[in-house]
Amino acid sequence: MSIALNVMTGFLGSGKTTLLKRLLKDEHMGDTALLINEFGDVGIDHLLVEEVAPDTVLLPSGCVCCSIRGELRDALAGLLERRARGEIPAFRRVILETTGLADPAPILATLINDPHLRGRFHIGLVVTLVDATHWALQERLHPEWMAQVAAADRLLISKTDVVGLEHQRALRGRLEAINPAPILDSAEIHSGDQLLLGEGLRSVEPVREVTRWQLHRVQSTAARHGDAQVCCLTFERPLEWVVFGVWLSMLLRCHGERILRVKGLLNVNNSQAPVVIHGVQHCLHPPVHLTAWPGEDHTSRLVFILRGLDAKQLRRSFEVFSRCLAPVTDGVAA
Amino acid sequence: MCGLCGLLGEDIHWSDPLGDELPRRRERLRRIAAINKVLAPFRLKVEDFQGVSYLLLGATGKQELATGLDQLWQRAELLIGRALDPLDSNLLDQLERQA
Repeated sequence: MSIALNVMTGFLGSGKTTLLKRLLKDEHMGDTALLINEFGDVGIDHLLVEEVAPDTVLLPSGCVCCSIRGELRDALAGLLERRARGEIPAFRRVILETTGLADPAPILATLINDPHLRGRFHIGLVVTLVDATHWALQERLHPEWMAQVAAADRLLISKTDVVGLEHQRALRGRLEAINPAPILDSAEIHSGDQLLLGEGLRSVEPVREVTRWQLHRVQSTAARHGDAQVCCLTFERPLEWVVFGVWLSMLLRCHGERILRVKGLLNVNNSQAPVVIHGVQHCLHPPVHLTAWPGEDHTSRLVFILRGLDAKQLRRSFEVFSRCLAPVTDGVAA
Repeated sequence: MCGLCGLLGEDIHWSDPLGDELPRRRERLRRIAAINKVLAPFRLKVEDFQGVSYLLLGATGKQELATGLDQLWQRAELLIGRALDPLDSNLLDQLERQA
């Protein structure tokens, strides 16, 4: 059975290690292996969590973005080998704590593209911590902040005890405008259950996760210079999967780094069961079939979080490809 | 492997056929037909190669073999010498004229 790899990310000093230490004390988290990626020669974070998680594996050096393919792959394969030899107990999930500067996309790419890992691990949830005290500055100065927030399945606000309510409301509003993921207060999270770690698109009930996305409530936003914007495409007609695959693969290949996130609930080929897609930058997860639509509304919805792309042109491109590439008869005609 | 066609298939990709309504070879030909419409303005053509790869043919006789959609776009860009951008207005205009 495939093991969930949950990614915990967040900017430097956002409280990832503090949260991990709290989570690992939860008795229900006992079947969790922990991987920590450190930036710098001395892995301080590794020392901090070792008391509660002696089997922590430290990815030796560098940022996850740069060294991901080799080191993460080796660390995950090593975990499986050590488990098979009985050196570490069986585990059913992995949490990877990234460095504060990491962009989550390469982690997903490693798991999706590596044939050795693909069947053994899958991406569970991306949990992003946001520092309530420094978020505005981090957003302005560091593009990684936006990439981390856009990639999140759960957004946790940390250090809420040192900022006022007004400040917290402003941050929540900002996060809601970027990513419609659930927003939680990090200080209130003491267990994996509170974080809904057992849920997600690869759980037994993916529809609950899709409902949490609230795609029907997502609104397109206007572009501001250099800022991320949300582009929501809706369409009534059933989607031709072949054409959609050609269009989206071409788009992600050309503009992947500017598409921070894509989520969609699609009516494909007039099927009774909708198809869910989601991805981060160049990496798209394998599509998930739901058993039924979450509600009466069978409209297909695609939500993009874009940075530096023209949403109008994206909409036009989608419409032109859908209209002009659709097979004429049975689709074999060139 | 597809029991009807005897194809081993390409490497796994998210855009693979979702159901089993059509044989894999038929689905593959539908995909190649759609790709050929996109590449026609660049005078490129794609053919199936053994059910697992794509053979890209340039107007001057240049050829490239690609496995999977991601590599296909990459090799096509090599042949035409610039990015293949689905948001390019000229490409969208030409697709509309073709249709």
